[in-house]
Amino acid sequence: MSRNAFAWYMQRITGALLVPLLIAHFWVEHFMSKELLRGDLTYTAILARISNPAWQAIDISFLLVALYHGLNGFYNILLDYGKIGRRGANVALTLIVAVGVAWAVWGVLAFHNL
Amino acid sequence: MTPPRILFRTYVVPLVGMTAFWIQRVTGLLLLFYLLIHVETVHHISGGQAAFDGAMATFHNPFFRLLEIGLLLVVILHALNGVRIIIIDAGVRSKHHRKLFWALAVIGGLAIFIAGALPMFLNSVVRR
Repeated sequence: MSRNAFAWYMQRITGALLVPLLIAHFWVEHFMSKELLRGDLTYTAILARISNPAWQAIDISFLLVALYHGLNGFYNILLDYGKIGRRGANVALTLIVAVGVAWAVWGVLAFHNL
Repeated sequence: MTPPRILFRTYVVPLVGMTAFWIQRVTGLLLLFYLLIHVETVHHISGGQAAFDGAMATFHNPFFRLLEIGLLLVVILHALNGVRIIIIDAGVRSKHHRKLFWALAVIGGLAIFIAGALPMFLNSVVRR
């Protein structure tokens, strides 16, 4: 399978994964309790959940899948509209991967003091 | 000569596929931008209670509550359109594509949006 075909499949697989993950995320952050339904998403309201390693694993996986899907989608748009050529595409991809890694680390470090 | 029926149908609801394509691109970019803001806010968790609640305080007003409902709409548009793309790529014949679009948009999208937005609106905007 070529790299492009692999990316094409991955975009669909990660998209399909994001549907249940996002439904769960919306549910636990906005609908699960009266407090959250009011929109009072405070530290105390989420502490029990986010200090649970299982939930941290789910949240981190969610972030990684979403980042891959989002940044790959961004790269696709860039290829479609930004007449950047093959060299430009490689530079863009390198930059996007670097941004993605930094973004992922930034997100994962949210949990480092719990 | 009778004109092909497909021309007539294209005229009645123009460019459904193209609209869907643009919806996917625009909502995708919006969601990527939202993810940036979201991670920025969430990373304040590592600073403890004061830091996180401080970062969240910006969003505790009816304006951002409404934006949150808008976010739900954007997510639903992107997710259902994505499901549509996966179904089409899986090999559903093109004569069903338009039906699929409206079924997902009206039955799926509208129903899920109302089911989600109504409790959010009543609890976080009206009763605040």
